[in-house]
Amino acid sequence: MSRHLSVGRGARIAVAAVVSAALTAGCSAGGSDGSSGGGGGSDTLTVNTSFVIKNIDPAMEYEATGALTVNALYDTLVTFEGSDVGEPVGELAESFEASDDATTFTFKLHEDATFSDGTPVTAEDVVFSLNRLKNLKGSPSVIVAGMSFEATDESTVVVTSDEPNPNVPTILAMPSTGIVNSKVAKENGATDAEDAAKTDSATQYLDQNPAGSGPYVLESFDPSSQVVLKANPEYWGEAPEFSRVVISNMDVQNQKLTVSKATSATVALDLSGSSLEGLPESLQQSGAQDTYYFLTLHQDPAVDEVTSNLDFVRALRASIDYAGVAKLFGENAQPAAGVVPPAFPGALEEADAQVQDLDAAADFLDDAGLDQPKVSLMYPSITYRGVDLGTIAAKIQGDAKKAGIEIELNPQPIAAFLDAQSGGKVAMRFSPQSLNYPVAASLVNNLAPGQSTAATTGWTPERATPEAIAAGEDVLGTLDPEAQVTALQEWQRVLNEDSPYIPLAYNAGTVVATPDLTGAEYSPAGWQLDVAAVGKK
Amino acid sequence: MSTRPVAARWRQLAGLVARRLGVTLVLLVGVTIVTFSLVQLVPGDAASANLSEAAQADPEVVAAYRDKWGLDDSIVERYLTYMGNLLHGDLSVSQVDGRSVATSLGDYVPATLELAIPAMLIAVVLGVSIGMLGAVKRGRVTDQVIRFGALVGLSTPSFWLAIVVLYVFFFVLGIAPNGGRLSPQFAPPPEVTGMYTVDAALAGQWTVWWDAVQHLMLPVLVLSCLTVAMLIRFVRSSMLEVMQQDYVAAATAKGLPRRTVLGRHVLRAGLAPVLTVSGLAFASMLSGTVLIEQVFSWPGLGQYAYRSASSLDLPSIMGVCLLVALIYMLMNLVVDFLYGVIDPRIRG
Repeated sequence: MSRHLSVGRGARIAVAAVVSAALTAGCSAGGSDGSSGGGGGSDTLTVNTSFVIKNIDPAMEYEATGALTVNALYDTLVTFEGSDVGEPVGELAESFEASDDATTFTFKLHEDATFSDGTPVTAEDVVFSLNRLKNLKGSPSVIVAGMSFEATDESTVVVTSDEPNPNVPTILAMPSTGIVNSKVAKENGATDAEDAAKTDSATQYLDQNPAGSGPYVLESFDPSSQVVLKANPEYWGEAPEFSRVVISNMDVQNQKLTVSKATSATVALDLSGSSLEGLPESLQQSGAQDTYYFLTLHQDPAVDEVTSNLDFVRALRASIDYAGVAKLFGENAQPAAGVVPPAFPGALEEADAQVQDLDAAADFLDDAGLDQPKVSLMYPSITYRGVDLGTIAAKIQGDAKKAGIEIELNPQPIAAFLDAQSGGKVAMRFSPQSLNYPVAASLVNNLAPGQSTAATTGWTPERATPEAIAAGEDVLGTLDPEAQVTALQEWQRVLNEDSPYIPLAYNAGTVVATPDLTGAEYSPAGWQLDVAAVGKK
Repeated sequence: MSTRPVAARWRQLAGLVARRLGVTLVLLVGVTIVTFSLVQLVPGDAASANLSEAAQADPEVVAAYRDKWGLDDSIVERYLTYMGNLLHGDLSVSQVDGRSVATSLGDYVPATLELAIPAMLIAVVLGVSIGMLGAVKRGRVTDQVIRFGALVGLSTPSFWLAIVVLYVFFFVLGIAPNGGRLSPQFAPPPEVTGMYTVDAALAGQWTVWWDAVQHLMLPVLVLSCLTVAMLIRFVRSSMLEVMQQDYVAAATAKGLPRRTVLGRHVLRAGLAPVLTVSGLAFASMLSGTVLIEQVFSWPGLGQYAYRSASSLDLPSIMGVCLLVALIYMLMNLVVDFLYGVIDPRIRG
């Protein structure tokens, strides 16, 4: 919008500014009905969350608020309903089937699916969108690595995976695989070519003019304050109940005050841990334990002689009071049994949760040949899901001390922590972890010896036990879902003995909603809340 | 009066302005060098701050990111590229969201101005009045109460005050909104200045205007409280110093009314140091209200600066630093000008 003003208009602005400032200055705090504390009118749903958003181009979004928004603006081939992430269901795909070897997946599109401009969604759009996601090489691109896409006719898409991967449909439910109107996108600088990372320039356009087929279209997008959605008048599926959704950036304390005072159509997405305490009983809560917190100890003796000693890892593992750690996360948390959170198939039973055993810790320290070992613990100095990570680190420090292990706390700003972490030279670190997509087997791709997280921990195949390597291979080599669950559980038991990871606790993501709403369910799929599924009682 | 002295005075003034602008330009270049160097010294890397952990494990993705943003170029090359763009009026684009830095600043600065202007007006009016009252009532109960209040105001952390104010006025009393610039049911008024109260007034949208004013109240209250406390102390001590001057005693001895002595002799002479402090306080309000903006969900410059710094977004950090430096320089210029208005010796 132009900011050039004529003289006459400038004078009017000056007068208006002075009047406004004077009136504002003269105002008392009275007079408000506090209306913005509640919903924004009977047909507006207000979703308050602490913004983590960079853009709303599906092929570039990776952050929580971005996923929430993109999920409402763009349809994907498949999706998940409510909080169930066990089985993907068709969205743009009327049906889909996998080959026996889990390398080829065929999706048949709904013939009546249309974009918000009324044009039909075609297989060509799907192939363009997925190739663009892959070739833009942004943060979400890694989820489709090793896949190729082909339109065999106007309404059929075939996805091929280099490796057998039964989880391809789950991956294709992620908001970053949202299908873009390829004609509109191309006209505005988008490309799916291999050099898209250099040549695509459509993100700015798509940030203001999303070209999707989802239940909502964009009214306004400001990455610092609010995203406003309005119902898509051309939506080909079931129309959402709320004609307008305002997603507002709000810090956690303010979210708690606001949802506590609201009487209608208001949701808070970031209340967790102790911030859930004291909420009015009339509010609805929906959550799932989908995040785990863990310690990783570097296995390269050149980085740290102490942490690379596996018996030291076992001693530290035995020294921690897991129930006490979980308590610090609030009543929706529980002690970790393994690295797979309970929200996903493959988690160990609650009864398998680790327990403190100081005698065993002493024995392991003897085996390690260490007396009063001293290590440094690096962690990001942030509050995550309502919990200050420094509090947890201090608890670990106190527990370890009881076993004769001295831990020096080393909090770092988040950017410095991430840099040090990717540098792969941190002796011991503590951080929260979520899944890239809601399949626990994806953790093997991160945590197994030589994989991404393991590499930053110096846990190479050469330093891992054969059992740890074999257990991971068993998970990835199993195509049957039930057998994979069993393999995942066995893999975690091996990790609890032979790995440099110490999972501490699971924490839950939670949706808190006013009592007048239906369908306000927390989804561990990444988008937290399907705003189109929220209705009125 | 001949025209020559007038022309000479204009030439002198033009020369002064040119010199000040020259100094400002040199200082801005200095700011770019210092900021650029400091960002390189900060531990952390833009690629690890902005890519997911899984993406960081993919060398192709990391290489594409580093190539896109020139992270592998030398610092000198990057600086020269940045300055080349800057000379063409281009503040570059954000490494985080790909938006033009100039566009983002254009969005956030009006929101901050909308907070800072009424807060400063309130602070100056209250700070000068109460500070003078304290000076006049020196040593009495009124003065003691004012000094205590100012001390409490200065010692109170801004974010704590913001949370308390929000809790009391929004949650307990229910007479103020909970933050943000507008209630969810309202769309922003057509953009002219970016300040909602002004734009709503220009568009004749009085319901929106009133809603925007209500949303301003609590953050303005908090922001002004802190500055009022500071101004009270400065005004009081400055006035006390002037009140001890011989010419004030002489004016009083001549039988001038107390109001005239205070208004014409004491206030005018005592305002110079207060002007300096007010100028700096206003510049500070424009550049550093991140915690208050955070609590009240106010999308201003402070939040933008915080986000830029935490994601090591060099173009945005540079944009914010240049703007803040410019604000301080302009405020100093304005203060120098106002010195001349209130002090004839400087004018001469």
